[in-house]
Amino acid sequence: MTLQAKSGRIVAVLVLAMTVRAGHLHAQVLNSGAKTIALQAVLPPSLTVALSGNAVNFNLSPGSANNPGSTSITATTSWAVNNIIGFVSLYAFFANSASAMTDGAGDNIPSADFQISDNAGAFNALTNTVPFGGANAGLRVSATLILVTNMSGSRTDVLNFNTNLSTLPNLPAGTYTGTLTLQAQAI
Amino acid sequence: MKTGRLFRIATIALGLAVATSIASAQAINSGAQTIALNATLAESLTLSLSANAVNFTLAAGSAANAGSTNITATTAWVLKPGRTAVGVYAYFASAAAALTDGAGDNIPSSAFFIADNAGASTALTSTVAFGAANAGLQVANVAITAANRNSNRTDVMAFNINLTGGTLPQLPAATYTGTLNIQAQATP
Repeated sequence: MTLQAKSGRIVAVLVLAMTVRAGHLHAQVLNSGAKTIALQAVLPPSLTVALSGNAVNFNLSPGSANNPGSTSITATTSWAVNNIIGFVSLYAFFANSASAMTDGAGDNIPSADFQISDNAGAFNALTNTVPFGGANAGLRVSATLILVTNMSGSRTDVLNFNTNLSTLPNLPAGTYTGTLTLQAQAI
Repeated sequence: MKTGRLFRIATIALGLAVATSIASAQAINSGAQTIALNATLAESLTLSLSANAVNFTLAAGSAANAGSTNITATTAWVLKPGRTAVGVYAYFASAAAALTDGAGDNIPSSAFFIADNAGASTALTSTVAFGAANAGLQVANVAITAANRNSNRTDVMAFNINLTGGTLPQLPAATYTGTLNIQAQATP
């Protein structure tokens, strides 16, 4: 290789190196525009009632005021609400006050003769008009005041039942069936 | 002064917040949970007696041989719809031998009389729901309506043996024993 050729190669390498370095010196970070994603997590208000059982039997004694149900039932009411002022109420009701239970042949036990004791309290007949069910066929079993400290919470109501036949001395022998409904309302 | 003003403003603000909360409150209802109720009032018909023995001191050929005591039958019932009557019956197992000495000498049911609640004395000569033919008496009959489906009644029964009929005037001296049954029936 001649000296001239060797010099030309060296010059070419230097020029290339300088070019690369110059390119590095001029590089800058390139950012895109920011795009946003709106996030929303909703905890919807909820209110549920769960029962420990779904059937109660009664062995009736004619004309007797005391005909207790075969078992108690525990109602567990759970809530998550967003209003700090108000109540969560548990209601028991029948669809019809005149025939809470019936033998299907025109003989009925009215809701006024069906009683509920809540958490070992006094027995109360279902004679009120409540948000659900028939007129004069309900009972507010319990009410819980909602404050900032219990916007999410639960309560249990142990329900005992009694059928009072003292006002039905001539109720004929038979099998009387009916449906008691439990429902809660927050307001 | 300034503190009081701030307090009033805070109170008003709190009131507005409460009012807003109440105004915006909407009822939330849970699902309905049901309990099936089943109440059984069993049908029943019972009869009880105030005593279970009556003695007679017989006079040969006499029409009037009264029992030593009255017996009260108490009948109680709880009936299904559709029942229309409750009957109380007295009867023997045999019309020919209501009482017997065990040696072939008998007092027939036709010589045995019952007076119910101080009524007329009547012999047991009918065929009733229980017992032998021609050996019974319907002591009482109660019509059942919606007003007395659960009820009761009492029958005070007085007894007499009449030894004037047939060969009974010649009934030999002996001890005659028998069993009178009292039973109720609801129909249909």
